[in-house]
Parts: sequence; structure tokens; C-alpha cells
Amino acid sequence: MSTLPRLRHKIIAATSLALSTALLAAGCSGGSDDADQQAGFGELTVMTKLFGTAPDPNGEMQQAVEKLIGKKLKVTWVPNAEYGDKANVTLASDSIPDVMVVNEKSPSFVKAAEAGAFWDLTGKLDKYPNLKPADEQTAKNSMVNGKTYGIYRVRPALRSGIVIRKDWLAKLGLKEPETVGDLYAIAKAFTEQDPDGNGKKDTYGLIIPKWPGNYASASPYDVIETWFGAPNGWGERDGKLVPGFDTPEFLEANRWLKKWITEGLVNKDFATLDTGNWNDPFVQGKGGMIIDVNVRATQLLDLFKEKNPKDFDKVTLIGNLKRDDGQKFSYPFTGYNDVMAISKQRIRTEAQLDDVLKTLDKLQSKEGSILLTNGIEGRNFEVEGEYAVPINQNDPKVKAIQNDVDKAFIQLGTRASVGLGAYKVKPADEASRKMRESFDVLMNEDLKTAVHNPALGVIAPTSVAKGQTLDTIVPDARIKYLSGAISEDQLKAQIKRWYDGGGTDIAKEVNDLAAKAGG
Amino acid sequence: MATDLVPEVVRPAADSSRPAPPPKRRPRDLRRDLLRYRWLYLLLLPGLAYFLVFKYLPMYGLTIAFKDYVPFLGYSGSEWVGLKHFQELFTGPDFGRLMFNTLLLALLTIVFVFPAPIVVALMLNELRVNVLKRSVQSLIYIPHFLSWTIVASLTYLLFSVDFGVIANWIHGVLGGEKTDYVAQADWFRPLIVLQLLWKQTGWGTIIYLAALAGVDSQLYEAARVDGAGRWRQFWHITLPAIRPTIVVMAILTSGNLLDSGFEQIWLMTTSLNRDVADVFDTFVYYVGITQGAFSYATAVGLFKGVIGVLLIFGSNWLAKRLGERGLF
Repeated sequence: MSTLPRLRHKIIAATSLALSTALLAAGCSGGSDDADQQAGFGELTVMTKLFGTAPDPNGEMQQAVEKLIGKKLKVTWVPNAEYGDKANVTLASDSIPDVMVVNEKSPSFVKAAEAGAFWDLTGKLDKYPNLKPADEQTAKNSMVNGKTYGIYRVRPALRSGIVIRKDWLAKLGLKEPETVGDLYAIAKAFTEQDPDGNGKKDTYGLIIPKWPGNYASASPYDVIETWFGAPNGWGERDGKLVPGFDTPEFLEANRWLKKWITEGLVNKDFATLDTGNWNDPFVQGKGGMIIDVNVRATQLLDLFKEKNPKDFDKVTLIGNLKRDDGQKFSYPFTGYNDVMAISKQRIRTEAQLDDVLKTLDKLQSKEGSILLTNGIEGRNFEVEGEYAVPINQNDPKVKAIQNDVDKAFIQLGTRASVGLGAYKVKPADEASRKMRESFDVLMNEDLKTAVHNPALGVIAPTSVAKGQTLDTIVPDARIKYLSGAISEDQLKAQIKRWYDGGGTDIAKEVNDLAAKAGG
Repeated sequence: MATDLVPEVVRPAADSSRPAPPPKRRPRDLRRDLLRYRWLYLLLLPGLAYFLVFKYLPMYGLTIAFKDYVPFLGYSGSEWVGLKHFQELFTGPDFGRLMFNTLLLALLTIVFVFPAPIVVALMLNELRVNVLKRSVQSLIYIPHFLSWTIVASLTYLLFSVDFGVIANWIHGVLGGEKTDYVAQADWFRPLIVLQLLWKQTGWGTIIYLAALAGVDSQLYEAARVDGAGRWRQFWHITLPAIRPTIVVMAILTSGNLLDSGFEQIWLMTTSLNRDVADVFDTFVYYVGITQGAFSYATAVGLFKGVIGVLLIFGSNWLAKRLGERGLF
């Protein structure tokens, strides 16, 4: 079990907090100094996510991007796993970069933004053709109480799905599921009818990892609850917005899933399995289903192929399911992942802001999107119809470009990852191509029944102040209930505890704010 | 060294008929002292600077415990709110649970982990075969050098419900339903204590063995001549010999009583055991870093620090009352 090397960084961060040294560094923020007067011209500093090793600051990609925007570019690359922590620590320091990729709903960002640390971009983006929000729902989702604090980074609006072992289905003569009942039957068969044919009862239906996020964070639980008709986060009941976990559908979905767990249809270590090892039981043939984002299907396809080149077609992807009464509710995503916010501390004047926005606009243009998503044409890829085909990948220099693009620079794009303006990468084989194409088909189908969260754009002040004590109550209780540690009545008592601990205020504020935002 | 530059002033004895008085101490003169021992004081400077810069200056940051700290506004710009954060902590729903968990872990540490190195050191001391003693000693301090991340991974590996070697072994011996040791709240504290024992015991023996090495072997010989057996020797010579060390270690430990070891606890926390796992250390991290409530987290940390100081003074006082020398 490879466990969590990234934690070390968190620990270092925690220690420095305990000693308050990190906070000392923040002591002189807010004062003025001349060194930053030039910020926003000549050089642009950015902080964003990284999924591999950091690019060489003098590398070809960096130079190409700098040439495009006509500025020096200084990027602080932060590994994805510790991004949230690092962002919070950065917000507490006086070294906020010009442009920062942040979760605009995190309490520390909301506090900072409301204190005036970041530019309010509401209504300012329409001037810039490539920064203007392309989708209204997403633009609304990414707001903080009616204000736009950043340029959202587009992601597909619906990515939830179920990955199933295709060969197991075939072996047991089962059809692809359409309803939650079908799914249960498949899980049961996967557990009891020896789908891998080794004569032993050593398989199970569904694989769930220890989920890192809280309630309504696209966990398998959240997706399943939505199938049963529970709200996605917040939903309207009797004309009022209520949290999704305070509905009968929530309880029904969990009662249903609990049956799975009691009957052994789910991996026993579902409360402790690290997300980093989520694929292992699937590829090892222990479990036969994963409920997650659609790209996990292609990941798993590749993993099977890695093990055995002939195994390129072992996986199938299913969209959201119908409830047993035939009604369908699909779990949508927010349509974006984090926003790019602009620091007021570094970018002081409207003129400077305009300059930064112009630069970002250039970066998100068609040319920029291709550069950030595909790389340098003729160097690491060629265009072939609608596809980009990788070339010269044996040349270590080209390989470096490819890596810099895939693991790092693509994160500077706000529109790149859904292929807006850029080329799609040509799939390696027929199965991958079909799988990729199915993403859009499933998405468009499921979007018709998507359950949107009407409260995404609002942040209740109480949840900013008391989130730390409230956020874990319900997701923890949910897992305890599922694992059999507490009864349904105790689960309900925990939900009441959430209300008593400040949830009542949050519900009231969310209702007021959503009404004001014209929801 | 040029300490002899200042000549001793020879004073005439006041009354020569009396027996020679003890050499009189001159009243302390700081400037003279400084001049005289200037090289020694110079050597002190880097140390002082270190403590000033890295230990005392950061204390200024503690003021944010009394403010609604917003980084953008800075220390001076953030608003004073007095004891609001402390009130929130003491009246909040988490306080009782945090205090209980932290104290219980501290208690378990005192009862099980603190004596372990003493017992092991005493046992090793009774080993007369030197090679054996040395090799056992080296073997048991290896775990100290492993990071908590590795220890936690090992624990998951050995105790997880499906593949855990130890879990399966216990299941094999005891039968019955398989237990998920790493997920169950009931097993959280035993696992924490086991991990501490495994990781720290060997390392902790070093100081006691050093103390034991200092015992005059003539004492043992004399005792043997007087007919004392192993047990008597142990009771009347060995144990008293390391008592001061034990006391000093106990006082030092008491200051860290509320330090539950962030890394270890954090790595072992899951949704199922969070109720028993949350301690002040993990809470500070969770609230401060992941939620960005810097002021609140600082208030919690400060509270913890104050308790630590009180405990140190308290146990030092107690040690003195019990006739030991204490730390200061």
C-alpha cells in the first residue's frame, strides 16, 4: 500500500502554523512598498496546480508561452494533492502572486476576497472575448454571493458515471444496468457468481475509497443519493432550500447502499482505502465496479492494457441510473474547477488589471489554448484532421515538452481541458476512441436530468465562520451508518447535531442569499 | 584568552588577628564581567540570536489569537476582538471532546509509553552478555528512524481487514468475525499506543542506559559481599541510580502532554474514528490550514502552550516537594 507521501508537506505546513512563524511573515502585508509597483507589467506571476514534476523555467514550453503573451512568466507550481493547504498558507502570507488559481468557495479565500485582497471581476470580463463566461449556469456556480472573483476553469458539466468490468458482465450473461435495481443485481452476481471463474468466492461488486472531500463533493455516495432523488448539495423542498441530507431520499439511498455493504457487495475497507489505490482492486480483479468521473474508464482501460496488451477492451462506461420507479436524476458537476483570481495587493490600478486581463485573454485565445493543451505544433504534435497526434516522442527534449504540457501548462488554461479551441489527442486504439466519444453522448443524455445545486453561488457567513466544526459531521455519520457503527436514528441525530451546531443559521442564510441572488 | 588583563585587586585583610576569612566575593559588576569573559559572551550571541529570531519574535504572531485576523489587512490592520476566539473554543461543541481525547491519550502515554524505556533499559542492564545487549539495543532503536508515514502505512498493511497479515493471524487464532482494526474507533487508541511503543521505546532506552552505565560498580561488589541478591542490588542500587533521570524525563514529558503527535494521529484518522481521534494538534491543523481560520487556530495553539507551561512548572514543583532536584 503506497501511503500518502504528500502528507509530509501538510505536516510541515501545520508545524509552521503552530509556531506562528508563517503568520509572522504575513505581518507586514497590507503595507506599501515600491518593489511591487511594476507588478502587472513586464512580468506575470501565477500560482497553479501541478500533476507531475515542475517544468524547467527556461524550458521550451515556458519560452513559447512567454513569447505568446509578450511577458516574463513566473509560475509557482504546486502539486495538486497539497494545493488546498498551500493556497491557504499563501493567502496568509504577503506573497500572493498576480494570478492565483483558487477554490473561490474556501473560507480563507472568501474572507480574503471580502477584505479586498482580490479584484471583484463582476461585469469586467465581457470586454475580453476569451475570458467572457461561455456558460451562464457555470458562471453562476462560480460566483460568491453574486460576485465574480475569478475566471472559472471549464470542466465538462457532467462527468459522473459507472465503470464496469465488461468481461464479467459477459461471463455472467448480464446486461448493462439501467436502473438502480439492475445495479444491485449486478453487484450481487459479481460477488456471488464467481465472475472471474477461479472457483473461489473472492470478488465483490463495488469499490469505494476513503473519500477526501466532505458532503456534496462528487463522492460515490453523493452520486447514488442523487439517483434516488435527493438534492445535489441543496435543493428546494416546500419552497425552501434544504441541505440534501435532510431529505427522505437521502436516507433511502443510504439504506439501500447499506444493504450492499452488509451483504459484502462493497470492499470491506471502504472507509480506509486511499484514493491513490482506488484502481488497484479493479485491475487486480477483486472488484467489478467504480462510480466516479468518466475519465476513470479510460484510465482503467490503459491500466489493463499495460498489464496485458491484448486486454484493451475490458471496461464499459455507463451513465447515471434510473430510480426503480423509472424516474431519472443525474449528478452534474459544477462545470468548472477552481477560478483564476487576481490579487489586488500586486495589481493596484485598473490599468494594471486591464493589462493582466489582456494577457490572460491572449493566453486563452485559440492559439494559446492549443499551446497550453497540445504543445508546440511541429515539435511534439502534428495536426491530423480534428486530432493532435504526438510526434518525436523518443526525443527526450520533445518528451519534456509533452510532459510540461500534460502535467503542468494545461493547468494555466481556463478553457483548454474541455478542448475548447484546442485539438483532441488522437486515441491510441479503437476502444479508447469509442470510450472517449461515449463521454459526450452520455453527458448530453444525462444533462437532461441533471439535478443542479441552486445554492452553489452563495456562501453563508456562518459556514465560513464555523465550517471547521460542522463540515465533517454529516459525511462522517454517513460512513458510520453505512459501516454499521451507528443506527439510522443515530444518523438522524447527527443531522440534528449539524442543525444545532450552526446549521440552522446556515440554512437561513443560504435561503436569504439565494433569494437575493435571484436564484 | 586574555582574561588575565584585569589584575586581581588585593585587599588588605580587615583584621589580621582573625583566622583568614574566606576570599570575599566582590560585588558583581556586569561591565567588568562582560569585559573579562568577552569571548565567552561572544560565543553566546549566536544562540541568543537564534532564540530571539526563531522562538521569541514569532510570538508576536500570537497576537492574532486576539484579533479577527485577515492576512490582507495584516497584523496591524486586523481588528482586535479580545477573547472571542477563546470563548468560542471553550464554549464550542468540540472542546470537551478535544480535551478528553487529548488527555486520555496523554494518560495512556504516561501509563504505557513512558515507563517502557525504563523497563527495557533495566532489563538490558541485567543482560551480562555484552554482544547480546548491544545488538538488542541497536535493533530496537531502528524504528525510531522511520517516519510516521511509514509507520502508519505499515499499520494499515498489517491490520487492514482484507490483506492485513496480523489481522488475519488474529482472526485465525481467535476466529469469529473479521475485525477492521484500522477503521474501528475502539481500536484507535490501542493502535496509537502500540505504534508509540514500537517506535519510541528503543530510542528512549539510550538515556537510561547511559545513566546506568554511570553507576559505580564498586557499589554492586560491596552489596554482593554483604549478601545482596540480584533483586536487592536492583532495588537498592540500580533503581535509585536512575531515579533523578526518570524525574527529569518526567518533567520534560509533562510539558508536552498535550502534544499528541500531530503526524501520527492525523495519519491514523478516518471518518469512523474521528470522534476519538480528534486532538488539539489535529484540530489546529484542520481549522487553521484547511479551513483558513488562522485566529481561531492560533487561540487553540496558545491555549495548549499555556497548559504545557503550567504542567512543566507544576511537575517541577511536585518533584521538589517529593525531595527530588527538579529541573530548575
